[in-house]
Amino acid sequence: MFRHTMLFLGYELGNVRRNPVWPLFGILQPVLYLLLFAPLLTGMVPGGTLVDALRIFTPGAMMMIALFGSLFTGFSMINETRNGVLERLAVSQAWRPAIILGRVMKDMLVLVLQALLVMGVAVLMGLRLPLPALGLMLLLMAATGLFAASLSYGLALAIRDENGMSQLVQFFALPLTLLAGMMLPVSLGPEWLQTAARFNPLYYSVEAGRSLFAGDLSDSTVPVAFGVFLVLGALSLAWSVRSLRKLAG
Amino acid sequence: MIIEAHGLRKTFTARRGRGRTEEVEAVRGIDLSVGEGEIFAVLGPNGAGKTTTVRMLATFTAPTAGTARVAGHDVVKEAAKVRERIGYVSQAGGVDDNAPGRESLLLSARLSGLSRSQAHARADELLETFSLTEIADRPVRSLSGGQKRRFALAIGLANRPPLVFLDEPTTGLDPQNRANLWDEVRSLRDQGTSVLLTTHYLDEADALCDRLIIVDHGLIVAEGTPDRLKQEVAGDVVTLRLDDLAAAGELLNAQPYIKETRPEDDCLRAYLDDGEHNLPALLRALEAGGMAIRSISLDRATLDDVFLRHTGRSLRDAA
Repeated sequence: MFRHTMLFLGYELGNVRRNPVWPLFGILQPVLYLLLFAPLLTGMVPGGTLVDALRIFTPGAMMMIALFGSLFTGFSMINETRNGVLERLAVSQAWRPAIILGRVMKDMLVLVLQALLVMGVAVLMGLRLPLPALGLMLLLMAATGLFAASLSYGLALAIRDENGMSQLVQFFALPLTLLAGMMLPVSLGPEWLQTAARFNPLYYSVEAGRSLFAGDLSDSTVPVAFGVFLVLGALSLAWSVRSLRKLAG
Repeated sequence: MIIEAHGLRKTFTARRGRGRTEEVEAVRGIDLSVGEGEIFAVLGPNGAGKTTTVRMLATFTAPTAGTARVAGHDVVKEAAKVRERIGYVSQAGGVDDNAPGRESLLLSARLSGLSRSQAHARADELLETFSLTEIADRPVRSLSGGQKRRFALAIGLANRPPLVFLDEPTTGLDPQNRANLWDEVRSLRDQGTSVLLTTHYLDEADALCDRLIIVDHGLIVAEGTPDRLKQEVAGDVVTLRLDDLAAAGELLNAQPYIKETRPEDDCLRAYLDDGEHNLPALLRALEAGGMAIRSISLDRATLDDVFLRHTGRSLRDAA
């Protein structure tokens, strides 16, 4: 089982290695936000410097890659429901969960690498972070990626239509971004907005990211975020594996 | 017997909008047995249930009813054991377009349990067999239809299966590539691999298979070797164009050497043995009956005549 997962992971990473351009495009958006949007915040944050603004804004920008990258990763699988690849794998000796799990692990790894690059830009702009906070942040990115990618594959297998999937993900992307407080902390808003945000899983990762970047590693938001994503990740993974089984009708 | 299936049925529930559903009986009871080392064809028009039948035998789709043992194991209860012993090449091919073919081949070989070096050896061997070595490292999307099909076949053989399923293996291929693929399927049999293929091409079933079933609307309408099935109809067929098909049919049915006549579109097909010798008598009979023949041709009976006899329509029109 583990061997098959690693084989699929290796195969998928091979595809990424041959075409490394797309993940680089993926970080363009958060990097632009860091360069062009974070300076606008300097007047609004406590402290009033660019570094203070980055400390609050960078975790949100990193979660954007999870949202706009990993949540779209399932598109590749819609094609595979038609071109016979999944059909072939389903009757091969492959352990079925490995088909999804290998891909999800690839997405998690790509996400962590993208997060490192975004953090690198923030460091170049003057942000300084202790190593444990950095490590935990990368793990948090991986946990977020586990959820977002599994959900995306589940959606792809359930919808099996590029147009439908694109509409659905686009429809949810903006409210999820705003209600996670990616741009500005939700705590600046009214009570109802803060309540609504609690139903958005990404809110927890952004909050935990801000705690980590503030150097507050033992803040309760951190274990809560890991807990939320491990549970949701496991559920969406189980759902996508089940959808894979139902492919045959 | 490498495949033994009894009473296979598959009913799909299709959504028809507004919560209404409709039961679609894709396969309505198929019995078949395939011997080891045999090339077995499932011939039928589109929508006859060929693909569903293969998918049930290859453990992709669970049958609604009936049982099947493939390579010694039950397709439902021992699906994992069946999967170790089969290769499956779907109609769509199932080759990853974005990666080089070699990568897909290596992945399949390793999933079947080979070590890294064994997998490389197996991949090289298959690439050589199917003349793919030179294009093995190009992304599959840049290859031609025939090359993709050869990759699909090679990937299906990565685990050295004693049985291979080929679903419509030559659909969309040009005549040259079709002929090449036929040769490759024959050489599989020569190495002792059993092959079950589906096709809607009469000539393909005729040229390639040892035995076949003809299916229509999810049921078997005929079964046997191509030669025996054609003999059941007759050795030869005379196709006539004339004005009064019904009268001509009646007149010919009264002739002792005519086995059967069948109108088809604007022609009459008369089945008979030893056509070369009986043709003059047939011409005389029509002339005596005052029938003006617009055209006439004598051919060997084909599997289409078998299909026509059992279903009342031509396979060419049935799609």
